[in-house]
Amino acid sequence: MTNQTISIAIFFVLGVGFWMIALAVSYLARPSKPTKFKETSYECGIEPSGSAWYQVHVRYYIYALLFVLFDVEVAFLYPWAVIFRRIDGGQMLLFSELAIFVLILVFGLVYAWRKGALEWE
Amino acid sequence: MFSLLWLAPTLPLAGFLILATVGARLPRRVNTALGVGSVGLAALVSLLLAAAWAAAPPGAYTQTLWTWLHVGTFAPGITFYLDPLALVMLLVVTGVGFLIHVYAAWYMQDDPSIRRFFAYMNLFVAMMVVLVLADNLPLLYLGWEGVGLCSYLLIGFWYREPGNVKAAMKAFLITRIGDTALIIGLFLLFAQLGTVQIQALLAAAPGLTPAAATWAAALLLGGAVGKSAQLPLQTWLPDAMAGPTPVSALIHAATMVTAGVYLIARMHGIFTQAPGVMTAVAVIGAVTMLMAACSALAQRDLKRVLAYSTMSQVGMMFMALGVGAWTAAIFHFMTHAFFKALLFLGAGVVIHALGGEQDVTKMGGLRKTLPGVYWALLIGALSLAGFPFVTAGFYSKDAILYLSWTAARGAPWLWALGWFTAFLTAVYAFRMIFLVFHGPAVQAHPVRDARVSVPLGILAVLSVIGGFVLLPRVLGGFAPFAAFLRPVLPEPPQRDGGIFEVVLLAASAVASLGGIGVAYLLFARRRTTSPDAGLARFWRQGWGFDALYDRLVVHPYLWLAQECRHDVVDAFYHGLADVCLMLNGWLSALQNGRVRWYAGALVAGAVLLLALLVWR
Amino acid sequence: MTWADLPALYPMLIPAATAVLLLLTLTVRRDARLAAGVAMAGFIAGLLALAASAAELSHPVTMLLTVDRFAVVFWGILLFAGLLVSVFAVGYFRTLREPREEFYLLWLLAVVGAMVMAASAHFAAFFLGLELLSVSLYVLIAYPRMQSRAVEAGVKYLILAGASSAFVLFGMALTYAATGTLTFAELFTHLTLFPGDVLLLGGVVMILVGVGFKLALVPFHFWTPDVYEGAPLPVTAAVATVSKGAAFALLTRLLLGVIQAQPGHSTLAVIFTLLALASMIVGNLLALAQGNLKRLLAYSSIANMGYALTAFIAGGDAARVAIPYFFAGYIVAVLAAFGVMTQLSTPEHELQEVEDYRGLAWRYPWSAALLTVALLSLAGIPLTAGFLGKFFVLTAGMAAGRWTLVVTLVLTSGLGLYYYLRVITALYQAPLEGEQPTPPPLHLPHRLSVLTGLALAVLAALLLLLGVYPSPVLHLLAWP
Repeated sequence: MTNQTISIAIFFVLGVGFWMIALAVSYLARPSKPTKFKETSYECGIEPSGSAWYQVHVRYYIYALLFVLFDVEVAFLYPWAVIFRRIDGGQMLLFSELAIFVLILVFGLVYAWRKGALEWE
Repeated sequence: MFSLLWLAPTLPLAGFLILATVGARLPRRVNTALGVGSVGLAALVSLLLAAAWAAAPPGAYTQTLWTWLHVGTFAPGITFYLDPLALVMLLVVTGVGFLIHVYAAWYMQDDPSIRRFFAYMNLFVAMMVVLVLADNLPLLYLGWEGVGLCSYLLIGFWYREPGNVKAAMKAFLITRIGDTALIIGLFLLFAQLGTVQIQALLAAAPGLTPAAATWAAALLLGGAVGKSAQLPLQTWLPDAMAGPTPVSALIHAATMVTAGVYLIARMHGIFTQAPGVMTAVAVIGAVTMLMAACSALAQRDLKRVLAYSTMSQVGMMFMALGVGAWTAAIFHFMTHAFFKALLFLGAGVVIHALGGEQDVTKMGGLRKTLPGVYWALLIGALSLAGFPFVTAGFYSKDAILYLSWTAARGAPWLWALGWFTAFLTAVYAFRMIFLVFHGPAVQAHPVRDARVSVPLGILAVLSVIGGFVLLPRVLGGFAPFAAFLRPVLPEPPQRDGGIFEVVLLAASAVASLGGIGVAYLLFARRRTTSPDAGLARFWRQGWGFDALYDRLVVHPYLWLAQECRHDVVDAFYHGLADVCLMLNGWLSALQNGRVRWYAGALVAGAVLLLALLVWR
Repeated sequence: MTWADLPALYPMLIPAATAVLLLLTLTVRRDARLAAGVAMAGFIAGLLALAASAAELSHPVTMLLTVDRFAVVFWGILLFAGLLVSVFAVGYFRTLREPREEFYLLWLLAVVGAMVMAASAHFAAFFLGLELLSVSLYVLIAYPRMQSRAVEAGVKYLILAGASSAFVLFGMALTYAATGTLTFAELFTHLTLFPGDVLLLGGVVMILVGVGFKLALVPFHFWTPDVYEGAPLPVTAAVATVSKGAAFALLTRLLLGVIQAQPGHSTLAVIFTLLALASMIVGNLLALAQGNLKRLLAYSSIANMGYALTAFIAGGDAARVAIPYFFAGYIVAVLAAFGVMTQLSTPEHELQEVEDYRGLAWRYPWSAALLTVALLSLAGIPLTAGFLGKFFVLTAGMAAGRWTLVVTLVLTSGLGLYYYLRVITALYQAPLEGEQPTPPPLHLPHRLSVLTGLALAVLAALLLLLGVYPSPVLHLLAWP
C-alpha cells in the first residue's frame, strides 16, 4: 500500500462516512409523523397533478440540438479571436482553419434546413 | 530462360482455375481448348527448358517464388528445383500429358461434363509437376497428395455408377495407408536432420544412424508402394480402371503410379544408407512384377490386362531401384510412359469402336476395321514385350535385367525372376494383340480423327526410338541418357560384364521372341482364350488379395470398431463435451439481454481490475 | 501544424471532406445510389491517397496524431472495410422504406473516427475519434428505426458505450492527474519510470475498461451478441471490423511499448493475460451451442480478440507483424461472412439462424463456398488467411514464452473448430426429402449486383492469397 493509496482510502472513507453519518443523525434526531399531505411530492406549493412521465415534442429536441451546435461554435470563436492577433505569421492558415470549421457548420445548417428541421408545423 | 520454370506448374493450374470458375459460362469448345492448351503450353515450356539445358547445362537450377512460413529451420518455400532427373520427369509428364489431353479432347467430346474432366486433368498435371519439381518435402507432399486427390476424382469421374465411386474410394483409402507412412517418414527425416530441403537432406544423409536411416527409408518405401501399386498395397490399381481411358493412360500408367519410382530415385541418398530396405525394394518389385504378369495373362478385361501390366512393369522398375540401378529405372519409366500410354490410348479407341465392349474374348479381327490402331497397338505391344533391337522397351528392360545380375546388389535369382516376367510379358502382350485384332472379325465402327492419330503416331514413334539413348556396351555403349543423369544418379557398382553381357542380351531377346511365339501358338488360332477355373481364375482375381484383405483386415477391423463402440476412452471425450456444454449453458444464462445487468457487469469488471491493481 | 503536414493526412481528410460533400449533395438531391456512389468514391480516393502517403513514414502531425507505417496499414484496413460495408449496404437497404441516404454519411464519419483512433498519439485525439465512431454507431445500429430489434440494440449500445466512455474519460483524468500530460509518449515515460504508481495505473485500467468494451473482451463483452443480433447486417459487419480494428490499433499504440518495457509479471501484464484467457475461453464456450449465426460470430469475435491480445502481450517484433496480419485476416474473413449474409438479407428479413442456411450450397454454390472459406479462415485452417494470422500470433507467444496463453489458444481453437464446422455442414446438407424445401427465407432470387459480386470475389481472393502468399503483406509490415 503506497502513501497515495492510503490517502485515497481515507478520502473515500471520509466521503462516504460524511453523508452516512449526516443522514443517520438526522434520521435519529427527527420526529417521524407522516400524514397524507406530507407524503405528496413538493412542486413549488402548487398541487401536483398528472404523471411526471409526460412526453415532450421531438421538435424541442432538434431545436435544442441546433442551439447547442451554434453555441459551441461561438465558444470556439472566442479563444480563436483572442490568439489570432498574438500569433505572428501563419495567420492565413489560422484563418482558413476556422473558416473551414464555420463552413462545415453552415453546411450542417443548410442540411437541417432542407431536411425541414426548422419548420414548426 | 530457366526463369520460365514457374510457368510449368502455373499454366495447368491456371487452366484448372479458369475451367473451375468461369468455365461454366464458356462454350464447350473453348473449355476443351483451354484444357488442352494449358498443358500444351506447359509442354512447350518444358521443351524450351530442355533446349536451354542442352545449350548450357547449369547443373541444377533453383527458383524460389516465396517462403510460406518460417519457424526455426522449418521453412517450406514455394521453391522449384530443376536437375536432370526433374527435367526428364517434367518432359514426360507434360509431353505425354499433352498428347493424352489431345486424345481426350476426342474421347470425351460427347461427355456432358467435359469441363469438369479437363479441370481435374489440368489440376493433376499441375500437381504432378509440383511433385516432380519440389525442392522441399512439404511441397513434394503437396504434389503427392494433390495427384492422389485428382486420381480419386477421376476414377470416380462417372460418379453415377456406384461401382466407380467404390473403386475411387478404394484407391484413395489404400494409397492413404502409404501416404501416412510417407508423412511419418518425412517428419522423421526432419526430426533427424533438421531441414526439409531435399538437397540438404541428401547431403546430410550419411550422418544418419543406421536405425534412423532404415526407418526413414522403410517409411518412404511405404509411401512409394502405396502410390505405385506394389505389394502389399497393389489391389487398388486394377479397379482404378473405372475412370475414363485417358485417365488410365495418364495417371494410372504413365505418370502418377511411377511417382513411387521417382520418390525412391530422388531420395536415393537415404536408401543407400539402408541396405536392408534396398533389398526389400528389390524383393517387393520382383515379386510384384511376377505376380502381376501372371494376373495380366488371365484377365479378360482389356483395360485390366494393361493395369496388371503396369503394375508388373513398375515392379520391374522397383527391382532396378533395389539393386541400385537408378538410371535404368528412370530409363524404363520413360519408355514405359511412351508405350503404356500408347497401349491405353489404342485400347480406348478399340473399346470406343466396339461401343463400350471391354472383354477381349469377345473381340477379334479388328485389324481390318482399325488398321491404324492395329499398327499403333502392335508397336506398343512389341515395345512392351521387348522385341529385340528395334523397340525402346527392349533396351530399358535389358538394362534392368543386366544390372539385376551384375550390379553389386544384384543376384542371379532376381535376374531369373525378371527374365521369366519378361517372357510372360511378351505372352500376355501378344495374347492381347491376337485376341483383339486377329481371328474372326466382330462388328466395329471405324474411327478416323486427327486427335487420335496424331498422339498415337507420336507415341508409336517414341516407343521405338525412345530406347536408343541408352544402349548396352556390346552394342556400342551409346548412352547419353545415363551421362545426362549421372550428376544426380550414380551408377551402381558392378561386377565385370564382358562376354557375359552378350549372353544376358541374347537371353532377353529369347524371352521376348519365345513369349511372342508361345502367344502365337496358344492364342492366334484361339486354341485357348481364357479358362474359367483353377489357377487362371485365381490369377484373374489378382491372387486373391482382395478376399485376403477382406478377411484379414476389413472384417476384424469392423468387428473391433463394433466392439469398441462403448469403451472407456469414449467416456472421457463425452465427458469433456458434456462439461463444455454445461459451461456453455451457465455462460449463456448470463446473456439475459438486460442492460441493467450488462452495465453492472461492466462496472464489476472495472472494480475487479482495480482491486487486482491495488492488492497486488 | 503546417501546410507540409497535410498530405500525410489526406487519406483521413478525404473521407471527412466527402462526408461534408455528401451533406451538401443531400440538400440538393436525394438519391440513395448517388449517396452510396459518393461515399464509395470517398473511400476509394482515401485508399489512393494512402498509397501516396505511404511514402512519408513515421510522421508526427501536430502532437495529436502520428502517421507512421502502423497507422498507414490500419488506415488501409479500415478504408477497405469502409468501402466494402458501403457496397454491401447498397444491396441490403434496397427495400428500406425510410430514407437510406444518411447511412453513408454516418458511415463515412464513423470510419474517419476509427482512423483518428488508429493514428492518435494524444488522449484528445483518442477521445475525439472514439466519440466520432461511437456516436455514428449509435445511429447506424438503430438505422432501420421501424424495426424494434434494431432500436433495442441501438439503445443498449448507447447506454453501455456511454458508460464505457465515462470510464475512459475518468481514466484520462486520473492519468492527467498523475502525469500532468495527455500525450501517449509521456504516459510511456511515466509508466516505465514509476511502474508502481497506483493513481496512474488506475487511470490506465479505467481507459482499458473503455477499450475492452469496444473490443468486447470478457468481462466487458455482454453487449456483443445482443448488438450484433439487432443491428442491421452491414452495421454488424462494421462493428465487428472497423470498431474493433480501431480499438486494437489504439491499444497497441498506447500500451504495446509499456508491456514490452515492463517485466512479464507486471500488474498490467497480469491484467492483460487474464483478459485474454477469459476472452478465449468464454468466447469459444458461448459460441458452442449457438444457433444464431450473428450471435455465433459475435462470440467468435470475442475469442478472436483474445487471440489478438496474446500477440499483444507477447510483444516484440513478432507481435508487430502478428497483430496487423491477424487483423487483416480476421477482418477479411468477417467481412466475407457478413457479406454473404448481407447479400441474402433485407432489413425486414434477415437470414440469421444457422438453420436458415441449411442447403445453401445447393442454391447459391458460390456464396456457400465463400462462407465456407471465411469460416475455415476464422477457424484457422491452413491455406487461409486466418491460419497464417493465428500462426504468427502463436509464434509471437512462443517467442515470448507465454505458454499459458499459447496452450489456451490452441485448446480453445479446437472448440472453435466445432462450431464453425457445424455451420459449414449445415451449408452442404441437402434439404430433406418430403420436408418443405427449407428454409423459406432463401426465396430471395435477387441477382447479385456487379459491385457486390466483385466485392465478394475480392474478399475470396484475399482470403486465399493472405493464406498462401504472405510475402507482400509481410514486406509492407516490416516495421521501421
